[in-house]
Amino acid sequence: MKYWLFLLTIAVSGSALPAFSHGTDLKYRPVEAMQIQANYDSGEPLKNARVTVYSPQDSETPWLTGNTDENGYFLFVPDRSLVGNWDIKVRQSGHGKITTIPISDRTELVNTPQQWSSQGVYSPLQKAVMAIMGVWGFIGTALYFSGKKRTKTNART
Amino acid sequence: MHVPDGLLPNIVCLSGYGLMGGLTWYSLRQIQRDKNSTENIPKASLLTAAFFVASLIHIPIPPTSVHLVLCGLMGAILGYYSFPAILIGLFFQAIMFQHGGLSTLGINSLIFGLPAIASHHFFTLGKPLTGENPVGRKILAFITGFSGTALAALLFSAIVAFNIPADLDSPVEQAAILAFLISHLFLAAIEGAFMVMVISFLERVKPELLHGNG
Repeated sequence: MKYWLFLLTIAVSGSALPAFSHGTDLKYRPVEAMQIQANYDSGEPLKNARVTVYSPQDSETPWLTGNTDENGYFLFVPDRSLVGNWDIKVRQSGHGKITTIPISDRTELVNTPQQWSSQGVYSPLQKAVMAIMGVWGFIGTALYFSGKKRTKTNART
Repeated sequence: MHVPDGLLPNIVCLSGYGLMGGLTWYSLRQIQRDKNSTENIPKASLLTAAFFVASLIHIPIPPTSVHLVLCGLMGAILGYYSFPAILIGLFFQAIMFQHGGLSTLGINSLIFGLPAIASHHFFTLGKPLTGENPVGRKILAFITGFSGTALAALLFSAIVAFNIPADLDSPVEQAAILAFLISHLFLAAIEGAFMVMVISFLERVKPELLHGNG
């Protein structure tokens, strides 16, 4: 009887100690993550590009490193206690970009899942208008110097 | 083929600016010696416009897409005017489209400007050798266009390969750089063919445009 009681005590206490068990405990909870999308100018995704995340506290030592997926996406969960500007560097064979994500303790990420924020990315129409303006500037310069040349020639004659 | 901001160490960016300053000074001195500088500035300005928009035209070459560079063409037509022209084009590309960057403007001007100057000398030296032979002229134009882009891709790759950060997986990055180089060899061939068309057209319509650069 004492022998059986001893075995029962060991079995019950052993089940309470994780070190003795081989089971796996899986938990889950929703967290607020930040998703990065990396594309070339042409719209193609930057596949398997290296992503380096720097926290606001240390802009020299990477806080997290990883790679974008086949569609150019990278997901990470920032430490919400580290408030400030997070620098995200995406790089592949000399191409890439650094972007800054401001995170405050009140930044709400979950409520705006569909909105993408970006720095200096223009629509094709905006780009076309800007390119035309730039080209017109160069043509104007050419016309100005052509006019100057003609004036000089006329003055000589 | 533009190096963006933040990917190169500060010392490399500063060295790029130093070398860019020296090359700009030398190019301007060559331009000052040119007797037809007022006549050549409109030509330089129009080709700067072409260089400025060329980076927006993407050519799909798997696994990525590339854009026209026009180093060989700029060098062959503009001579030493090509360096300040490229510098101005890169500046506007950086501030308007974030193509490249202001901290890497010096490095980018070397990546595009040095092949342009090399193309100018190659084309100038090759012209007397080909004489009036049209086939020879076409071959010279193709090699000039091809080598200008290939040299720019080589310079870009060398600068990037020598500045791979420690936290980056070097073999993966080197493989990506090799893929970049291969795709740009196709681009170089396209630019060579484009150069043949432009030079043949100019020789028929306005041959004086190909002579008398700084």
